[in-house]
Amino acid sequence: MGDFLNTMRVEWLKLKYYKTFWILLTVIAVCIPAFNYVIYDLTDNSFPKINGQNILGNPFSFPNVWSTVPYNAGILIFIPAILIITLFTNEYSFRTHRQNVIDGWSRRRFIVIKITEIFLLSLFVTGVVVLTCLYFGFITRKPMQPIAGWEQYRFILFFFVEMLDYSLVAVLVAMLVKRAGLAMGIFFLYLIIEQFVVSLGRNKYKVNWVDYLPEEVSDRLIPQPFARRILSPGNNVFWEKHIPLYLSIAVLYIIIYIFLLSWRFRKSDL
Amino acid sequence: MRSILSLKNLSKSYGRIKALKEVSFEVPGGSVFGILGPNGSGKTTLLGIVSDVLIASGGTYTWFGNPPTENQRREIGTLLETPNFYHYLSAQHNLEITAAIKHKPAGDIERVLKLVKLYERKDSKFQAFSLGMKQRLAIAACLLGDPAVLVFDEPTNGLDPSGIAEIRQLIIDLSADGKTIILASHLLAEVEKVCTHVAILQQGVLIKSGDVISALSQEEWLELGSSDMEKLKEALVRLPEITKIIESGNHFQVYFKQAVPDAAWVNHYCFGQGIVLNFLQVMKKSLESAFIELTNNVSN
Repeated sequence: MGDFLNTMRVEWLKLKYYKTFWILLTVIAVCIPAFNYVIYDLTDNSFPKINGQNILGNPFSFPNVWSTVPYNAGILIFIPAILIITLFTNEYSFRTHRQNVIDGWSRRRFIVIKITEIFLLSLFVTGVVVLTCLYFGFITRKPMQPIAGWEQYRFILFFFVEMLDYSLVAVLVAMLVKRAGLAMGIFFLYLIIEQFVVSLGRNKYKVNWVDYLPEEVSDRLIPQPFARRILSPGNNVFWEKHIPLYLSIAVLYIIIYIFLLSWRFRKSDL
Repeated sequence: MRSILSLKNLSKSYGRIKALKEVSFEVPGGSVFGILGPNGSGKTTLLGIVSDVLIASGGTYTWFGNPPTENQRREIGTLLETPNFYHYLSAQHNLEITAAIKHKPAGDIERVLKLVKLYERKDSKFQAFSLGMKQRLAIAACLLGDPAVLVFDEPTNGLDPSGIAEIRQLIIDLSADGKTIILASHLLAEVEKVCTHVAILQQGVLIKSGDVISALSQEEWLELGSSDMEKLKEALVRLPEITKIIESGNHFQVYFKQAVPDAAWVNHYCFGQGIVLNFLQVMKKSLESAFIELTNNVSN
């Protein structure tokens, strides 16, 4: 345990004085609530009201806020991905991944600590999402309204899984490409191509295997929260039924990414 | 003498290119072991494998008689190719990372920075350093925790002449402290001044290894001069130990059967023959000419 804490301390020393890390972390902490506020403002003021009720429902009130904020935050997952790619490719461009091993880390230790870092960053982003949920939930809360039950809290777990899924893909691309700019380009291109394949498959060719593609399956854990009963009334039952499958496949992808990262780093020349 | 590093049939291939071909040798404890060879001969590949940043295609190696582990590497100070540090961190903070990885006290940072004359710049960022300063910082990182074994790959890269002389003196001092130093270089004059043992690589093949004199056939000869050169020559040809006498200006180059001639004995012999020497010097083939001779022989 002491050895692991020492390894964590080394990672902390790398980040402590790295301005880009703190700037991007601040951007994440600011953008998630700010972006949600923009959507909140839009839904509150730009849609017609029937009998005083917003046509989109109350997406930012308890309990709906527990799915609305994670859904919106999911759109911003590219920001932590940029941070992750920057941190990982730094090691390659400074060749410090080699030096850490030369100085006395095993390759396994290096990759385990990087994956731990991604878990911690994902926890941080999830924490920001939780705080944002609480903020909007409380400012729109009506008297005696319950905050939530497991049905709603699970969206926080789903967001964490989605965040891990995207982050690990970002690291995998960074490890293969080694250069920050190129890695970011390929990562975004990959996301766009996958979305293109999903749209084409679902809408033109009517095939459902596209729902299980790596990022799509984690996206499907948090369906769009606005006016669900009006826009897609049948989908709720379908979604509830498929949640265990989506979650299992998303976790399976996470395990595969971790295996690939570990295998690649341990078996190749540095 | 206890072997510090032992290589057995170490090979490395990049596709069809064989960078290292079944190299085996031992580095004795307390030696300054030069790994010599022209650029592309496999020196850095070899050191990369024993530092665990490259994976060997074949063969094995041991450190201190045991299979390699991360704990062993913490007891070895290694500078491989280029100085690798976090550009956005200061010298002090970079060395704090190295010390933490090596499980060495951060209190040692001041000592090593003073040793390489970087203490005054300890708070400057690595990216602001000149190439020579970066190299000196890498040497400081190697010295953290006072390791018993040091591995230097081209340690004088980027240094000015006084910097080269300082590092050479540092290596001599470290060796005098009983440390084992493995030094890869293509600068033979640099190696000649400090190494006790060598391994010579050419195109990934180990040509020779062992102590410097025997490995490089650095034979010695005497240069003799006298006011009566005729009489001196007559006396010398009578000695069965002599293999060759070459006239060279106002003195003779005299070669002996043994690699290291006994100058005092020759002086005594000449004096006994009524010849007073006015010139007597022990000469040695330079490492460079011995190396070129050896590598040319192999190429041919």
